[in-house]
Amino acid sequence: MGRYKARWIGIAVLIIGAGLIAVLATRPSATVAEVQSPLVGHTAPVITGTTFDGSAFSLPTAPGHFVVLNFFASWCAPCQQEGQDLVAFQFEHQQSGDASMVSVVFGDTLSAARTYQTMLGVRWPTLTDANGKLTLAYGVSARPTTFVIAPDGRVAAYIVGAVTVKDLDRVMSAAKATHA
Amino acid sequence: MSTRRFPIWIVLGAVLVVALVIGSGVLDTTPVTAAQRAVAIETGIKCPSCEDLSVANSSAQTAVLVRNTVRQLIGEGKSDQQIQAYLVSRYGSAIVLVPPASGWSLLVWVLPLGGGVLAIAGLTTVLVRKRMNELVEPADAARADATLDAGASSDQLDARRQFLEQSLADAFAEHRAGDLSDQDYQALRKRDTARLAALDVRMVATGNVGVAAPVAGTGDGAAEPEGPVPTIMLSPSGVRPKRNRRQRLLISGAVGAFGTALVLLVALFAANRLPGQTPSGNATLSQQAQIQQMLAQAATLENDHQPGGAAQLYQKVLGENPQNEVAMAQLGWLEYQTGVQGKSASLINDAKAKLNQAVQLNPGDYAPRLYLGTVLLDQDNNASGAVAQYQAFLAANPPAALLHQAASLLRQAYTQAGVPLPSEVPAD
Amino acid sequence: MNAALGNTGVLLGFVAALVGVVVLAVGLAKGRESTIRAGQIYGPVVLLGGLIATVAMEHALITHDFSLAFVADNNSRETPLMYSICGMWSALSGSILLWGLILGGYATAMVWRFRKRATEPLVAWATLVVYVVTAFFFGLMLHAADPFQHVVGAIPVDGAGPNSLLQDNPLQAIHPPMLYLGFVGFTLPFAFAIASLITGRLDSAWQRETRRWTLFAWTFLTVGIVLGAMWSYQVLGWGGFWAWDPVENASFLPWLVGTAYLHSVMVQERRGLLRIWNLSLVIATFSLTILGTFLTRSGVIQSVHAFSNSTIGPLLLGFFGLTLVTGLGLIAWRGDRLRSVGGIDSPISREGAFLANNLLFVAFAFVVLLGTVFPLLYEALDGGQQITVGAPYFNRLIIPIGLGLLFLMAVAPALPWRKTSIEVMRGRLAVPAVVAVSVVVACVLGGSKGIEPLAAFGLGAFAAASAGRALALSVRLSWRGARASGASSARSILAGWRGFVGRANGGMVVHIGVVIIAVGLAAATAFGHRTEVALSPGQTSSFAGHTVEFVGTRTVKTSSSSAFQAILRVDGRGTYTPAITQFGAGSQDVGTPAIDASWRDDVYLTIDATSTSGAQLTFGVVVQPLVMWLWVGGALLVLGSVLSAVPGRRRRPTDPVSAPTVATAREPEPVAPKDAETVADTLPEPEPVPVGS
Repeated sequence: MGRYKARWIGIAVLIIGAGLIAVLATRPSATVAEVQSPLVGHTAPVITGTTFDGSAFSLPTAPGHFVVLNFFASWCAPCQQEGQDLVAFQFEHQQSGDASMVSVVFGDTLSAARTYQTMLGVRWPTLTDANGKLTLAYGVSARPTTFVIAPDGRVAAYIVGAVTVKDLDRVMSAAKATHA
Repeated sequence: MSTRRFPIWIVLGAVLVVALVIGSGVLDTTPVTAAQRAVAIETGIKCPSCEDLSVANSSAQTAVLVRNTVRQLIGEGKSDQQIQAYLVSRYGSAIVLVPPASGWSLLVWVLPLGGGVLAIAGLTTVLVRKRMNELVEPADAARADATLDAGASSDQLDARRQFLEQSLADAFAEHRAGDLSDQDYQALRKRDTARLAALDVRMVATGNVGVAAPVAGTGDGAAEPEGPVPTIMLSPSGVRPKRNRRQRLLISGAVGAFGTALVLLVALFAANRLPGQTPSGNATLSQQAQIQQMLAQAATLENDHQPGGAAQLYQKVLGENPQNEVAMAQLGWLEYQTGVQGKSASLINDAKAKLNQAVQLNPGDYAPRLYLGTVLLDQDNNASGAVAQYQAFLAANPPAALLHQAASLLRQAYTQAGVPLPSEVPAD
Repeated sequence: MNAALGNTGVLLGFVAALVGVVVLAVGLAKGRESTIRAGQIYGPVVLLGGLIATVAMEHALITHDFSLAFVADNNSRETPLMYSICGMWSALSGSILLWGLILGGYATAMVWRFRKRATEPLVAWATLVVYVVTAFFFGLMLHAADPFQHVVGAIPVDGAGPNSLLQDNPLQAIHPPMLYLGFVGFTLPFAFAIASLITGRLDSAWQRETRRWTLFAWTFLTVGIVLGAMWSYQVLGWGGFWAWDPVENASFLPWLVGTAYLHSVMVQERRGLLRIWNLSLVIATFSLTILGTFLTRSGVIQSVHAFSNSTIGPLLLGFFGLTLVTGLGLIAWRGDRLRSVGGIDSPISREGAFLANNLLFVAFAFVVLLGTVFPLLYEALDGGQQITVGAPYFNRLIIPIGLGLLFLMAVAPALPWRKTSIEVMRGRLAVPAVVAVSVVVACVLGGSKGIEPLAAFGLGAFAAASAGRALALSVRLSWRGARASGASSARSILAGWRGFVGRANGGMVVHIGVVIIAVGLAAATAFGHRTEVALSPGQTSSFAGHTVEFVGTRTVKTSSSSAFQAILRVDGRGTYTPAITQFGAGSQDVGTPAIDASWRDDVYLTIDATSTSGAQLTFGVVVQPLVMWLWVGGALLVLGSVLSAVPGRRRRPTDPVSAPTVATAREPEPVAPKDAETVADTLPEPEPVPVGS
């Protein structure tokens, strides 16, 4: 280096700076970044719990049909937004029986959640998950979160935020295609 | 300094070491309690629904959940690694606050530590070399200066002269104030006066005679720049060939152009924008997005039993893009229904034409097939033609709900045509 | 009308800055003094534009003019007046407006201060650079971050109101302006650095002149950061004050490099060394403010403090790139002309200590920057996998650096320039060392455990004692000086105040402030305890040496908020009311903590959970020692900065460390010697004043 120390240091820092700028420029916005769950593609944790009226509920590990597991709270706006879609989806599939729904209360009082589900016209089991075991087993950190579990018991999709019927249909057909 | 002072420092050092050893708790033999283990693990796990906090610090519900789970797992006898692995298997690798020292994330540990090692190495070499400089003979120092000054301009030689003079004056004052020992002062003075003398010889040789600029800082430190206020020129010394100025302009122009290009490139290409946004940030929708929006709105209107409004929107879409087969198919179907109701043959024919065109435009879409098949069945009584369309409809993977709705129609067509019903069609 | 006025102001500022750039460029290229002088007027015009726009925005906020999208999103009819006024800097485009206003103010101040030397190329180029930066920020406001954008669709009847977390505490009013006064203030030394590189005026005159500006900016940045920590502590509810959040780091990075610069510049003034270091540090400080602005406003990093997502990210990144390219390019071009003529004579000297100081601060800044951007880097390298770099990483790497800095703080004030010996140092640092070891022993005996807090306490005491020694010496010299000039003994004692002002002495006060902050930090983080207690009304619980009694609850409604408060009595003495507050209908609740602060420790109370059955509430209680010391240390930091700006008994930069400042006798005048051998002969005999050591 010697005589031209400043020149070399300047060029080196410039290269590092250019690299930094390149990385920063190509990052997607954090708010639209896809959140991932490590459970996708692996066996879904066992779904057991108690429903509103106190009866036990559990699903076998390979349920034989698609299971849509939805974590919600009555006060969260996106949950309210997706409520209608969930009801429509369940109605679509209740006859064919190829998909069933389970809801789990996450961060809400039981009475509010119950009222909300009744008002929505929900006819599928809602689990209270009082000790949070299911919430933690599925690594849920925000609401609403929806898991789609394939008939062989593996987690097919993990969606954070309000889902639509189209989203669920798309996920199901994609899962069918890969497993057909 | 009398040697009496030595024991005090040794005593201080010993007391310090003992106190630190006791205080650091390495001598504590009490085993780590479960609660302490829990806290240690919890400070390293991020609260899942917070931004920066650890589960130890947060009172959010998810944090409480994780804390309870950690304590439960400790109670079950799991090790720290197992607990962490379990949480990572549920929440993903971003749940751990300390990046693991493996894979790419090793970089975040290696870079600072490596940089630190480099810096310490650099500092020691620089300072050790300086230390060795002290012992250098005055003649060697002068010679070293000469090689460094080879080819230096008159400005630079002036600057060196000023520095050496200032250095001597400083050394004198510091020695008088007692900061510099006699021995060091004599050595420094000898070295620097030799350097000054050699420098003067060099300056005379290169023609810069007797340039004795005033020693910097001899004023009362007031904020005056050295020398006369220079005239307005890009170069400091006033008499430079024009070529230099042009060169300078060229370089600064190149830097400016490069910088502007960088700014533009980054802003235009590498940036992430929401769909439909221009670089300046306005969210104007592209035509494609506009059409999607109109189609969605029309579908909503249809669901709301407002076929008139829906039809208008479909017309608009077709006005933008006459080849849009979704709009065409939907509009055709609406027209057909209106035509049947109002018994208008022209509408029905128009609808048929539209549906045919839609099928042609996108043979793989299920909706136009269904519509066309139904029209053929109901209007023309053409069961075989309807079956052909329905075959294509089934092959196009229609959604289950639609299949349910259309089941009766399909059955009718197939029985009429005498073709066996495919298995996908649900039985009643 | 507000929008029209505002847009006019922004456009005025932008055009004025642009025209200023052109005029100055033409004047410099052609060498015409009159043109350059004409370029001066554009600074005040930019300020005028900024003022017009600010007045328009404030008027819109105060009168709740919801035709502006900014007002509709950040203001509502129930918002109190103060939060309406402060709402200007609560969201992105308004904060850029504040930045532009302050930049206009600094540009005007600069043009005024250097008006007599406006035609010098150094000053002219520096003004040009300031105009370029101003043009950029006003240009941002023209389109990408337009504060006066009209609301899309119909004008709403009522606005959304500010974010609940931003209405909770009056600190929101002063924290951002202080921070921006700091950030924006670093534009001036940067402009002068670029100007000196371009013109080749590479001496340190410009640094002497801009020293007060740099100190001013640094002081406000410090105040901004400390207030930010205080605000975070009082509002966010987790009992902590620094979470190594990306936005906090973004404000901390320029502070670190700016502090290194403030120290390193002393070496250049005195010995002409470390010139490239100083230019690099100044350019780095400014670049880091732009990078920090990018990180907080671009949305690439999630943070609880971050502004909403917007599209000015790429523009800011591009500007950061431009700054980096220009600064580094100029250094690479001119840098080797800058190489110091001499070198450091001895490692054990104040120059060596300052060099080590530079390295430590740069290492500190490097770790913070790496930790902040590493999740993004990792995502790019590992294709979508995500990791988090959190507080444990930062603490682990930064505690050794912090301890090293404390050690330097202790040793450097006692180090002479140029060269010294172990004997001299042993003598000077004996008393501070004894103080340090006694403090460590006392803490161990008092039951403190943990190598990190003990090291912090010990080194902190060492540094504080060393600073105290320097101040005591300085005060004593002032006494002696006053006595020697014939004042009465009473007056000469009063004259000791001079021992506290001036750059070196103010610096010592600042060091003591830093030590107090370091000690408070170490104690609060190492010895804090937190717990959750469920209490019914009337119940008492005790924790970490304090008792908390749940007295009752009440609901308090104001025009803008409704708060459910729990009344708690701490230690049987005072009552504190943590609350759950809702601002405006329909917005989410925020928890409002209550703090019982004392010199010994803080008891931090929050309502963590309510229960539907009965009146039982779950409270979070965090007890942390010495939190008050943080704020006191911060105040002392600011006091020290103010003291160092006051002109002290002017010592020439070349006076040695222990030089007597004698009021009478002729000050020794080093005359420019033609022949070095005669230096000793030409100087007058000094007064026989015993020099303390």
